[in-house]
Amino acid sequence: MFNYLLRRIYLLCITAFVLTLIAFTIEHLTVHTHFRENTFTHYLNYISAILQGDFGYSIIDKKPILATGLIAFSSTLELCLFAFIIACIVGVPLGIFAGLYRNNGLDYTIMSLALIGLALPVFWVAIIFSVLPNAFGWAMPIDGNISPIYEIPVVSGFLLIDTLLVTQQYQFDAFLNHMIHLILPSSVLAIFLMSEIIRLTRHAITMVMRSNYIKAAHTKGLTRRQIVFRHVLKNALPPIIHQLRLQLSTIISFAMVIEIVFSYQGAGIWLFDSIQQGDYLVLSTAILIISGFILFSSIIIDLLLVFISPTKRKSLYADQ
Amino acid sequence: MLINNEFNEQKIQSPLQYIWHIFKGKNIAVIAMWAIIAMLMISIFCDYLMPFPHSQQHPDMLLLPPYWSDGANPIHLLGTDDLGRDTFSRLLKGIQLTLMGALLITFIVSILGVIVGATAALMKGFKASIMHHLLDALLTIPTLLTALILIVLFGMSYENSLIAVSLSLLPQFIRGIYICIENELQKQHIIALRLDGATNLRLLRYGIFPNIIEPFVTLVNRIFTMAILEITTLGFLGFGANSEQVELGSLITKSLELFYLSPYLVLFPGLAIFLIIIIFNIFSEGVRHSVIEGED
Repeated sequence: MFNYLLRRIYLLCITAFVLTLIAFTIEHLTVHTHFRENTFTHYLNYISAILQGDFGYSIIDKKPILATGLIAFSSTLELCLFAFIIACIVGVPLGIFAGLYRNNGLDYTIMSLALIGLALPVFWVAIIFSVLPNAFGWAMPIDGNISPIYEIPVVSGFLLIDTLLVTQQYQFDAFLNHMIHLILPSSVLAIFLMSEIIRLTRHAITMVMRSNYIKAAHTKGLTRRQIVFRHVLKNALPPIIHQLRLQLSTIISFAMVIEIVFSYQGAGIWLFDSIQQGDYLVLSTAILIISGFILFSSIIIDLLLVFISPTKRKSLYADQ
Repeated sequence: MLINNEFNEQKIQSPLQYIWHIFKGKNIAVIAMWAIIAMLMISIFCDYLMPFPHSQQHPDMLLLPPYWSDGANPIHLLGTDDLGRDTFSRLLKGIQLTLMGALLITFIVSILGVIVGATAALMKGFKASIMHHLLDALLTIPTLLTALILIVLFGMSYENSLIAVSLSLLPQFIRGIYICIENELQKQHIIALRLDGATNLRLLRYGIFPNIIEPFVTLVNRIFTMAILEITTLGFLGFGANSEQVELGSLITKSLELFYLSPYLVLFPGLAIFLIIIIFNIFSEGVRHSVIEGED
């Protein structure tokens, strides 16, 4: 286990090094100012600045760009998390049904819904969703992530936590306000995520249902419900998590598009505004923040997989 | 000499013919195929099919609804926009740019991806590990971010957005092909071929490529879907086609402020994107199923 962790961290270091090279190249091509230095010393300076946490200052508001970027990206993560929860609540049961009753009317309905969810362009759905509540006569906020009347001091960057910290001042109003702002963007993202989860779950469940230990469980005389809860779900989980890990960057890029439509103050709108105003320093910073997050989370998910599935653990020992 | 032609009627079909034979039996997939052919024809002969030139303005007929609602003019099938330009013609022109761009991207990405992926899978040692780590790093960057960066580097235009999208989708495809070939290389018949002394090219041609058609179709379909979504997203954000060129994503942006006056201007381009993607998905699903059935 410890060896495996060490090896993963070693791989992470190499990938992080390549990432800094890419970020440096972009920085060098777009906002290069030190013409006297050669490229190598410039790279060394860049790396040492990054290691000290100095990513440079934005030319728009003269604030340190790392802090702005981290706050923006944490809003994006909140959106993704919220959407993920909605998608899991709806998608996993539907996927299980589709997998259990394969080639059935129910299966075809669910799978066509999933196909439609994957084929809809995200920004178009976001536009439609921003108009729909108005058409039904509901008052739903469609811009920003919190009403501007609340002054929330930045403590952790995550608004869900920060709004809970100011309960003395606003009770739970700020928190609820933020939640209401989150509903529409996250349900748009959830449509995409849900169809992905349904597809993955159905595939995993069908694969598990074909295996021999399910036949053995049948011969043991277990009921269908017992088999599903005891054997199928536990064994179907690892491939789903593994595939979702690969989809993480797609999910984040969809989230960024949705943010731009809803003008939700996240990484998407941060990048979009800065690029339009010519502040190209955000590009290399965004690469380092977002890809760094994806790298770390992929390692954590790998470790989680090793914990929950013994078969992975076996293949891991064989690897060494 | 005995000629027994009448007993030789059962020919053994080639694998491709066999797959085509199975594919013909799937009604929905065949309909999707004809729809794809129709869309291709539309986008090739778009200039002759359009009832009006896509930038011609009709100042007396602004913001007309489509023909089935009140106050419409049947000359303009799907209505007009705020400058009196025919929506139907603009949709056809938009389908041309988006669909052709996406097909071009899919073609280039699949050729480059197969070459690079096969080389990476068959290489060993230092070069392979450089390749591997570079791919690992590139895969962690979200595709939209990559596309935005490349757009900033190259400048904003439709052609550059195509280049940016194809470069941002390339790592995914290479990784997919790489994993397929890697899985295939573990199998017994590849080892047998290797023991026969087959060169790498022969190994690829006879051992690997015939066996990875099914994941290849899935990958190409995925790349095509992502390409359409990315092109339209870049057009929507204003980084793609300029105001002269009509592209489905930029059509939506331009009519966004007219949403409450004439929602059809936003609805139709979105529906067109949706239809293109779903038809191609159904077609590739049919191809995939017939390949699987053909292998059994």
